Amino acid sequence: MRLLLTRLDPAVPTDFIRIQEHTMSDEIDFDEILGKYHSDPYEYVDIFAEHTGKIRFLVEGGSSVEAVSGEWKHIPGTPLFEITRERNPKKITATTNGVVSFIAGELEGRFVEAGEKLMTIRHPLKKKEIIEAILKEVLYIFPAPERAKYFFSLDVQSRIEKKGAREVSVKPGDEIIIMSLMKRDTPVYYSGEKGVIHSVYFKPGISVDRGAPLIGVCPFEKLPLIQKVITRVKADWDKKE
Amino acid sequence: MSPWNMDNLALLHPAALDDYVLSVELIRRQIVDAPACEEIFRYGACVGSVIYAYPSLSRAMDTARDHIATREKKGVSVANGSLILASSLSLPKGRFSRSWHAPPGGLWGCLILADTFLPPFRNLLPLIPGIACCEALHQDGASDAAIRWVNDVLVQGKKQAGFLIEGFRSPVHGENYHLLGFGLNLNNDTFPPELQETAIALSQVLGCSIDICSFAFSFLAKLRWYVGLLLYEEEQWLARGGRDVYEEEHPIVRRWKELSDTIGRRVQFGYDVLKNPQYEAVVSAIAHDGALVFRHDDGTTSVEHSGEIRYRQ
Repeated sequence: MRLLLTRLDPAVPTDFIRIQEHTMSDEIDFDEILGKYHSDPYEYVDIFAEHTGKIRFLVEGGSSVEAVSGEWKHIPGTPLFEITRERNPKKITATTNGVVSFIAGELEGRFVEAGEKLMTIRHPLKKKEIIEAILKEVLYIFPAPERAKYFFSLDVQSRIEKKGAREVSVKPGDEIIIMSLMKRDTPVYYSGEKGVIHSVYFKPGISVDRGAPLIGVCPFEKLPLIQKVITRVKADWDKKE
Repeated sequence: MSPWNMDNLALLHPAALDDYVLSVELIRRQIVDAPACEEIFRYGACVGSVIYAYPSLSRAMDTARDHIATREKKGVSVANGSLILASSLSLPKGRFSRSWHAPPGGLWGCLILADTFLPPFRNLLPLIPGIACCEALHQDGASDAAIRWVNDVLVQGKKQAGFLIEGFRSPVHGENYHLLGFGLNLNNDTFPPELQETAIALSQVLGCSIDICSFAFSFLAKLRWYVGLLLYEEEQWLARGGRDVYEEEHPIVRRWKELSDTIGRRVQFGYDVLKNPQYEAVVSAIAHDGALVFRHDDGTTSVEHSGEIRYRQ
């Protein structure tokens, strides 16, 4: 079994991230996956109300929005809407760039419950993002337990420095990562399929949101398959471009 | 070994700490704080309920880990709030393996806390030791002691005390613990060259020797209060229908703000700020969850939950 993170599930109003369990398949229908991305090379990011409150939209359907930017991700993205609860207005800004493809305009000026879908942003995918998206379908994704900064444990870090991440194997129960939050360092123990660290999604010193992927682990026997995915997507996308 | 060290540590036993709490700290709190003082102290009573005092250790954190593992292997439970104290540490280190000097004359140790906190409250745990230490220093006459985010305690701009919290999962039962390491410079007023410009002992500030045992009672009693307050407020919040997010200003954050001189300062920030400073900005606020809110030179803001700062002015 593996975990796959998908974005923004309205069925889980108190949480902005859904964690699904999937079984890794041995076979990948490349044509189907690539066909899907060719015909619709976008990610649809749904935006929900974080909590109850009165809504005032700050964009319209079709508006272009910019993502958060700046060296330290300190420049906010385009303001999307304002939600007011108990006379406390909160501006929600875009975290991804794209175009507003859906907006629940009928909710303008109305009180909404937490988890209510407010809009969808159609985000154009780049080749690298498509490869990452496909890899996330085939790797075991180990998510961040809390919004914090993460770094590899000393043992794992020294093995990565010696051999490279893809030569470092992990198994359930291994102390692989240290979570650092408010000067509190907590070991994070791996709980997933045994395999090698194929993808690292965090950078030391940069905060990671709760539920965002930290590492993608590939069982040893699946490594050739993963390589095939990358080669095939690159070739196919380059051909298309 | 200096006479005050081991002798005084031997006097630090749980019953004496209980007496101090009831006869001094509780009365002090009843005068200035909420009417739930007794209840809050009951919540925090685990702190120092068992005390192990050693003449010397390599690292108190390592001893705490060994203690937990050994007790579990023997089939004996670990008392929540157990304290490991040592008159000196031979291999002390701060975060990122930085140099820390722990000779006789200081207060060195580790508090073992079982991880029984709910996530929004667990994040406030690192604020507690800085507050407890700062209050104890004010009470002893070091009135300019202040906290630098997260929990460094500075007197006259130099570090008097440092704290770090490390998580530990016990090897047999997989129970999670917080190991709260503390190092307080009290009578140890001679520092190695690399620390002379940045470290200070309380005896240097007050110009007299410090009774380590008395100071330890005061510091530990305050730790009891704030750990108790964390648990008490957790219970109150649940009773108010609290769910995932704690959006109020916790009394611990409020107290931290009163004792800190971080807000309004221009600082250098970095995850490991000495090795890799990332940027300079002004600290504009402390968020309800204890995070730092920065105002950058271009007028934008950012929030940091992890890392460290150094004052620039």
